[in-house]
Amino acid sequence: MFEVARYEAERRLLGTLAIAVGLSAFAGLFLAIGPSILEEVDFAQFVDAYPESLQTAFGLEGMGSLAGFLAAELYQFGFVILLGLYFAYLGGGVVAGDIETERLDLLLSTPISRPRLLLEKFAGLVPAMVLVNAVVATVVYVGAILVDEPIPLVDVLMVHLLSLPYLLVAAAVGLLFSVVFSQSSTAQRGAIAVVFGLFMLESLVTDTDFGALGAFSPSRYYDPTAVLVDSSYDLLGAFVLCEAAALLVVLALLRFQERDI
Amino acid sequence: MVAIRSEGLTKYYGDVCGIEDLTFDVNEGEIFGFLGPNGAGKTTFIRTLLGFLSPTAGSAELLGYDITDDRALVTAMEQVGYLPSEPGLDDGVTGRRLLDHYGALRGDTRSEELLELFTPPLDRKVGEYSRGNKQMLAIVIAFMHDPSLVLMDEPTSGLDPLKQERFHEFVRSEVGAGKTMFLSSHVLSEVQKVCDRVGIIREGRLVELETVEELLSRGGKVVRVRVRGEAPPEAFAIDGVHDLTIGAGADEGLVGHSSDSTTASFTYTGDYDALVAHLTGFEILGIDIEEAPLEDVFLRFYGDAPDSDGTGPGAAADAEPGTGSDSGGSD
Repeated sequence: MFEVARYEAERRLLGTLAIAVGLSAFAGLFLAIGPSILEEVDFAQFVDAYPESLQTAFGLEGMGSLAGFLAAELYQFGFVILLGLYFAYLGGGVVAGDIETERLDLLLSTPISRPRLLLEKFAGLVPAMVLVNAVVATVVYVGAILVDEPIPLVDVLMVHLLSLPYLLVAAAVGLLFSVVFSQSSTAQRGAIAVVFGLFMLESLVTDTDFGALGAFSPSRYYDPTAVLVDSSYDLLGAFVLCEAAALLVVLALLRFQERDI
Repeated sequence: MVAIRSEGLTKYYGDVCGIEDLTFDVNEGEIFGFLGPNGAGKTTFIRTLLGFLSPTAGSAELLGYDITDDRALVTAMEQVGYLPSEPGLDDGVTGRRLLDHYGALRGDTRSEELLELFTPPLDRKVGEYSRGNKQMLAIVIAFMHDPSLVLMDEPTSGLDPLKQERFHEFVRSEVGAGKTMFLSSHVLSEVQKVCDRVGIIREGRLVELETVEELLSRGGKVVRVRVRGEAPPEAFAIDGVHDLTIGAGADEGLVGHSSDSTTASFTYTGDYDALVAHLTGFEILGIDIEEAPLEDVFLRFYGDAPDSDGTGPGAAADAEPGTGSDSGGSD
């Protein structure tokens, strides 16, 4: 059991570590320069200069504290955008890449059903999400103590924990593209475009008459600034994201089951 | 018992025909060769049998399991091996890791024994493998769980002649142990060497189904002979000679160079004695005799227009040239 998931995760380990190190360095940078910037820059004025919708989109409201600064720079940008797109990209390669290289032929010639294969391949993405989160959470928590601006442990844990459903949705968007298209480059680009497009959609419609449209955007349900600045945890949002991820995976399963390889 | 049963199996890609109405059985314990030029539908048939493609019409069974029933197919796969023509192996891991992976998925009862015959460098990354090494690794993967039926698509592509020979021997020994082997090929000599029975596919349709002896008696040999002096085409026009072409001077395939010689190339389906006796009338400077390429056999038996007058065995028999029987001796 879980041989495929284990194999996929193992194959991705190096890439995962690179992402974890990269984001940790990113976090380290903001931890190092954050306190001095916060002292010298009047963020209230800076933030006010932005249109209100972008203030929300980039999580600028809380920029005045280290936690808010990290929420905007590291989590809003590094996690919601970068990591979201990364997992959409990985998801896009899950099946399409193997169809392209005909690796799927060999896998499906083993006694493993298509649904199980797809679920295991998707599950193979989860260790990467967990590992990146665990590493960056540690760096942020310890780093904040080191620069003498500690962030409550539970906030750090929650901002990472709640990112998982969001990343699962991004990966599931990729998975769906991956079973629809046979070329991994098409699937990956499509998934990235959709995840980024949905993020932009939410930014643009927030506080407009079309605000309801933002409900289709995964980023509406994961708000790092609220977690780190206000200690407010959107558990319902996390639930919605889990539901959405499950729905996307079910759609992918249905499509994968019937399609020609 | 029947290892593979195909009942009117048909696969269209949109409007394009992959295979059409393939109906035949492969019995347990036989080596069945599936012969046809590239693009004839050999791979489509194998991939449909394995459930990668869903048939447009018809049905099929592997070891008695219905291939359109997903659960049945998964059960069948426990006893089925598959060797693709271009095995999709992960480049980024070592051969050993890949063997472990497939061993965990399908079981591994005999990879050690197989690795004595086929020797991919297991500790190197698959991405560094030569084509032949990849094929050997794929062979081990296809047979490691000791399957009772193995489907092979151009199995010796990429193997050097020595390894090809070893593979053929191995396949014969497997059948000796009661296994069933189904292999597709576009090389007549390969099918001739290992197979008991042959199905010929052309443009998606089965055009012949017969034993290897029967097929060989019709295939004939390609003969190229260079003789001294000038010789008119009539000089070679004996029974069993087809597609005769005459050229002056040396043929690049034959050694020696002379301006006053004649090269004759033809397909021969007659009696060897008659040919040899006839050729003693010439001073022979060089001679080449080889198996007729499959494409030539197709052209001679079916003409180049497919479906021109029906493609059943009857049509082939009508077109059968010559009366001599080939002994089918190995060369």
